Amino acid sequence: MALLEVKNLRVGFKTDDGFVSAVNGLSYSVESGSTLGIVGESGSGKSVNALSIMRLIPMPPGRIEGGSVELRGENLLQKSEAEMRKIRGNDIAMIFQDPMTSLNPVLTVGDQIGESIQLHLKLNKRDTLAKTVDMLRLVRIPLPEKRVREYPHQLSGGMRQRVMIAMALACDPDVLIADEPTTALDVTIQAQIIELMNEMQRRLGSAIILITHDLGVVAETCRYVLVMYAGNMVEYGTAEQIFGQPKHPYTMGLLASLPRLDETEHSRLVPIEGQPPNLLHIPTGCAFAPRCKYRMPICDSPVPLFDFGAGHVARCFLYDERTAGERKLPVESAPEVPNSATSAKTVQATGAAAS
Amino acid sequence: MSPDGKPGVDLLEVRDLYKYFPIHAGILSRHVGDVRAVDGVDFTIRQGETLGLVGESGSGKTTAGRVVLRLLPATKGEVLFEGRDVQKLSRQEVRKLRKEMQIIFQDPYASLNPRMTVGDIVGEPLAIHRIAKGKAAEQRVQELLRLVGLQPYHANRYPHEFSGGQRQRIGIARALAVGPKFIVADEPVSALDVSIQAQVINLLQDLQEQFSLTYLFIAHDLSVVRHISTRVAVMYVGKIVEIADRDALYQNPLHPYTQALLSAIPIPDPAVEGRRKRIIISGDIPSPVNPPSGCRFHTRCPIAFDRCKVEVPPLKAYGVRHVAACHWVEEHNGNAPDLTSGPAVVA
Repeated sequence: MALLEVKNLRVGFKTDDGFVSAVNGLSYSVESGSTLGIVGESGSGKSVNALSIMRLIPMPPGRIEGGSVELRGENLLQKSEAEMRKIRGNDIAMIFQDPMTSLNPVLTVGDQIGESIQLHLKLNKRDTLAKTVDMLRLVRIPLPEKRVREYPHQLSGGMRQRVMIAMALACDPDVLIADEPTTALDVTIQAQIIELMNEMQRRLGSAIILITHDLGVVAETCRYVLVMYAGNMVEYGTAEQIFGQPKHPYTMGLLASLPRLDETEHSRLVPIEGQPPNLLHIPTGCAFAPRCKYRMPICDSPVPLFDFGAGHVARCFLYDERTAGERKLPVESAPEVPNSATSAKTVQATGAAAS
Repeated sequence: MSPDGKPGVDLLEVRDLYKYFPIHAGILSRHVGDVRAVDGVDFTIRQGETLGLVGESGSGKTTAGRVVLRLLPATKGEVLFEGRDVQKLSRQEVRKLRKEMQIIFQDPYASLNPRMTVGDIVGEPLAIHRIAKGKAAEQRVQELLRLVGLQPYHANRYPHEFSGGQRQRIGIARALAVGPKFIVADEPVSALDVSIQAQVINLLQDLQEQFSLTYLFIAHDLSVVRHISTRVAVMYVGKIVEIADRDALYQNPLHPYTQALLSAIPIPDPAVEGRRKRIIISGDIPSPVNPPSGCRFHTRCPIAFDRCKVEVPPLKAYGVRHVAACHWVEEHNGNAPDLTSGPAVVA
């Protein structure tokens, strides 16, 4: 059994213009000790997915329309708020994007880290303080005995993100969700934080879900990658599969549109034409079809997942036998017809079983 | 400072430029210090070139761009545009200068007036500079919109009806309206999604070719800067630490900060990532209010020695059009330090 399993999750928001579907039948699972990167652009539903797991979607206007989020087989969506409070911070912890706004400015750093330690681990004051200082030392904050009494404004952005990480890891969670943890940071500081997260992962063995728009960060940290577009998964696989043999035209497009630091010739970038989808009107078929170079008439009907073996799946008709006559396959990856899995089957993140 | 290798005409020359923002405190608002945003900067940009100006937050790159355009007055120093010091121009002359130099802003959500139609936004510079009015102005606006990949009928719409990428196109159309020679692009793509970012970068390159524009491209993303620039300058806490032609800077970075910065960028390819040796420098970026003595990078530099703490390293030339400000490099005859095999660097 997977540690965390999201099944057919659907989340939307009521707005003045109508109902917006932010997450649209998303399914995936995470094994303990593995790192899953969820990549997507703004509006792809990656953050809403994370907030749904934590049951932090403001309702209303939000609404979880269906599906389940199972932690060790127990559906979190059916828990009471009191039960969720025991789970948050203890079993599942989250690191938010902006360390400026997600720390409380009127409490000391120590109070904020100590709060969850006291609540979940039921330690007394002295032990809580000792454990808090230990956590700060663990995330390599210099002079932790002094810093523990300081307020967030006295710390730099990188330090604050370290405090966030210390807070998230204080109760040794099974799942750590990091939502754009380095986006607000400068590159040299980003490198420090990524290094720290990788080390924490090795040391504590939590499962990490890293949500980001930065493909470079994913390549550097994640074993598995899930690519989202318009609220659903378009491709899933190991980092090597996704970056080495991408199957979905959107994934290929993303990789081609990135200027790379290691590019040798300065060819023109290949952008993905068109605009991001309007979530008020998500097409019934492939949401990427309006921007896709390989679009076919069949793309207007619901797209199943196709399995390429070794856990690699993509949601695209290019790999369907029915389109064999008309499809124009992307050049390098002319695949042997894959074992079609027409009844869209749930993705199993199998590789992590080893750990 | 021009150990020239290739011919070319300097369009813009910045000499020993300073920009301090005073800090006042107390009930008497006494002057208690300065934010030394730009602290002695020299560079030149040649006609048709793109100079990428990179640095992290607080490096002064945005302030430098604004002083160059005279959107902010300089504290000291000269900005020569076609040989004339823009700091010394009269109000009327500055207005004329605006036809020559324009800016594209970072945030396409904040830089367009939400109450004006796109047609008014793009057409406003035409009216202000009395370039065109009435039917002619309308036509010019439509031409500009087409030029940046929008449709003529978009002129009647408002900014909120557009996505981030389209808004940035509107900002570009407005900058082009007066037919400038020189454009400061301040983080023009950093607010955009990757798939859209590439569209805007390509547009900027096409326009540069079509109108022989010269760009000062300010960004923190070194991959984007590498893609678009002919020459790159690296800033750290108010000072330029290295300037070189693009390939020289990326293939043979001399300054330890440039090396660390390049090494910190993750490459979207796990195969490459696995092989790469990373240099991770410890510590935080110092405050420009109270910058470190000597070389500003010495507090984080893994190879700093005594001289770095007391003596400010000047920019020195090493090779063709390649300058760097580092005592270590100077004492090692222009050789680049190898930080990957240096003393263990702990974050």
